Amino acid sequence: MNAFGQLVLSGILIGSIYALMSIGLTLIFGVLRVVNFAHGEFLMIAMYGAWGISHLLGLNPYIAAIAIVPAMFLFGALVYWMIINRALDKPHLVVVFATMGLSIFLQNIALMLMTADLLDVPPIFSQSVTIGPFYFKVELLLGFLITILCTVGLQWMIRTTYLGKAIRATVQDGEAAMLMGIPVPRIFLITFAGGSALVGLAACIMLPLFSVFPTVGLNFVLIAFVIVVLGGMGSIEGALLGGICVGVVQSLSSYYVSPALGQMFFFILFLLVMIFRPNGLLGQKGAANIGMND
Amino acid sequence: MSVLLEVRNASRKFGALMAVNNVSFSVGQGELLGLIGPNGAGKSTLYNLIAGVLPPTAGEIVFDGKTVTGWKPYEVARVGIGRTFQIPKPYRQLSVVENVMLTAFLREKSIAGARRLAEITLADVGLADYFGTPVSALTVGLLKRLEVARALAMQPKLVLFDEIMAGLTPTEVGVMTKFVAGLPARGITVIWVEHVLYAIMKTASRIIVLNRGELIAEGPPAAMARDPAVVKAYLGEEMDLA
Amino acid sequence: MSIAEPKPTGKARRLPILPQRGKVSLFEILLLLVCIGLVAVGLSPTLRDVLLLTFLFAGLALAWNIAGGYAGLISFGHAAFFGVGAYTSTILLVHFNVTPWIGIWCGGLLAAVFGAVLALVCARLRGPFFILSTLAFAEVVRIGALNWASLTGGPEGLSISPAPSLINMVFTSKTTYAALMLGYAVLVYAITKALEASRYGYYLFAIRDDEDAASAAGVNPQLGRTSAMALSASLTGIGGSLFAQYFLYLDPTFVISPEISFQFALLPAVGGLGTAIGPVLGSFLITPLSELLRSNLGNAAAGLHLVIYSAGLIVVMLYFPGGLAAAIGKLARWRPFS
Repeated sequence: MNAFGQLVLSGILIGSIYALMSIGLTLIFGVLRVVNFAHGEFLMIAMYGAWGISHLLGLNPYIAAIAIVPAMFLFGALVYWMIINRALDKPHLVVVFATMGLSIFLQNIALMLMTADLLDVPPIFSQSVTIGPFYFKVELLLGFLITILCTVGLQWMIRTTYLGKAIRATVQDGEAAMLMGIPVPRIFLITFAGGSALVGLAACIMLPLFSVFPTVGLNFVLIAFVIVVLGGMGSIEGALLGGICVGVVQSLSSYYVSPALGQMFFFILFLLVMIFRPNGLLGQKGAANIGMND
Repeated sequence: MSVLLEVRNASRKFGALMAVNNVSFSVGQGELLGLIGPNGAGKSTLYNLIAGVLPPTAGEIVFDGKTVTGWKPYEVARVGIGRTFQIPKPYRQLSVVENVMLTAFLREKSIAGARRLAEITLADVGLADYFGTPVSALTVGLLKRLEVARALAMQPKLVLFDEIMAGLTPTEVGVMTKFVAGLPARGITVIWVEHVLYAIMKTASRIIVLNRGELIAEGPPAAMARDPAVVKAYLGEEMDLA
Repeated sequence: MSIAEPKPTGKARRLPILPQRGKVSLFEILLLLVCIGLVAVGLSPTLRDVLLLTFLFAGLALAWNIAGGYAGLISFGHAAFFGVGAYTSTILLVHFNVTPWIGIWCGGLLAAVFGAVLALVCARLRGPFFILSTLAFAEVVRIGALNWASLTGGPEGLSISPAPSLINMVFTSKTTYAALMLGYAVLVYAITKALEASRYGYYLFAIRDDEDAASAAGVNPQLGRTSAMALSASLTGIGGSLFAQYFLYLDPTFVISPEISFQFALLPAVGGLGTAIGPVLGSFLITPLSELLRSNLGNAAAGLHLVIYSAGLIVVMLYFPGGLAAAIGKLARWRPFS
């Protein structure tokens, strides 16, 4: 039973870290109604950035976040300005192909600059923490704590500040929000850049746990999409809940199901979620329909 | 006059909201039935029940002797119920005539035949100059007429018009009113949801009034204009409309 | 009014000059003659490789376009069908000695089944969720193929013995392969044109443009989506089989990859979705370019050709969403979409 408990708890911890990576995606979905197929690559380049800082300056990735998060914010703003903004008034497939193109572009730039080698940061903490009968890597716990702090902070911001309310309004009805005087294009920009910054933070806490290589984004982006679908588009609590579900499932299945089939199992889970709960666990209507011409 | 459509105790629930509550009425062959009511009364939902977009949570719908409750929209279309959409839904990458050909295919299986039928129908609603026009070039008024053409190209037994007058100029309203009034004589039974009440009052043989999902009144236009329940539903207070 | 509308005046029926939906044009006839000429003329082996790959990918792009451009089902998972077709005919040949001339049709049929399954799985999904599900579907197929080693040879792959023979569809001459690939492209092109000119084609356009309105017009959207995906999948599968006969080696990571899926979608997008000539233009532009880049830069810097490619795609998508066909259309006053 101990193994089961250990797996579930580790799953919750890693799942919340996955959730942090997905919050940006769900907000972008909810506010802009577009899917960023390059989301995984944003994570990848942030991870490389954190690795670079760690490698060159000897700082650990958690400290590197101080630089990475603002850098990713600017990067997100740049991508929004150059690509997303221009694609918004065009047929939906334009943003699909453009972000797909961006994904391949970033993957191959990384391949050219960093080669296909898996890169890691040296271990930061030498011991695990023991809580009762369970033990956890410090990096995992630290990542979990940072995620919770961040989520709580975000929720506070969303509920109390004007920006937060503007974002919620835009998620509910972009046109109405514009008519109410909300500067929707600026909200779009802030959401996209902010989502990218969150990915940057996620990358910094994930680098101690995962290696980085050019196609690492592909593994995580599908996880992120499952979380967003499960949690419902635009919902931060949903992303956290979805992340925990995914983390637990992954943790249990990698132990009880053959590792070779583990990934396939995950994709099948994704398809099952799509078939049976396209509106998410919390049942947000319309999540399965974005991209239709309204 | 034989009954073409019968709606029996139809209800549709969305969570806790009864959008349509135990509505019963019938439409006879050759009638022009007006369906009016304030915003949010449930008229669109009722249309969606009849047209098969949503199944009723209770009740039955019988059309032309067949029980069509819970049928899919394309099945309902194939037995002869046509409809327009309140916000026009044209096929944006097809031309005007091709938009109408889709519905025409219910009657004419060949491309040439469907095109001919589409052209005739378009000319009928006054869009003869726009066959090859891309849909994106049409104004709201013309789009509304395209909606009507699409519904009529299938030569329906029953057509559901949903606010086809919105956005039309007064002249266009007059023309369209006369046009719709002439449909029953051509064998097309009409249910007409409309906010431009003047048009309905002039042409409908009978009117049913919906408010908050319930059928609150039924009768000839003149009587409806005087019915206190109807007036209250629209205006919220008693007022002399006569 | 569009250019050169056909006026059937008794016997003399003028053909349109530039491609129009559902009608054969002079341009298309000329293009076919040019292609036949290119096959017949003596080209260097590398150029002949490029030629036959261009034809093959034109066919594959056209096949994708039936689902993606005509029915609006944008899939980034078509490599699954490509792989199913390729593996089916190859397994039938290698393990059961069935000639590929029959095998390719078996592959096409099985791929059609996969296509129908995908459409049914994704029946209620639209937009990005549909696209993501096609990705996930292809990955499931890939991992399945990778792990079912007894059937597919797993990661070691499957090879066809390179002994040339007609019955085994293995040829020494690249010219024969080029003719085969051209035949494939012409077949899919003809099917595409026939579709455009048919009631079924209109049903697909309607489902693509507005499903609710199509439903109200008596069209069964689910049937349309499923049949379009099955047709698109089967034609893609046939292309996969032909590819296997040329390349003589299959392995799941290479054949059922997201990169190949992306290629199938890229070519029609760049050339002009929703037209017949678009995917052809896309392949004629991109396949030679990609081969050129790969051979010149692919070794120098791994990934450089893809960097250039994808940057080009982004630019094309943002500034020419209608693809080449639309861009040319603006210049030549031609309406490719009508």
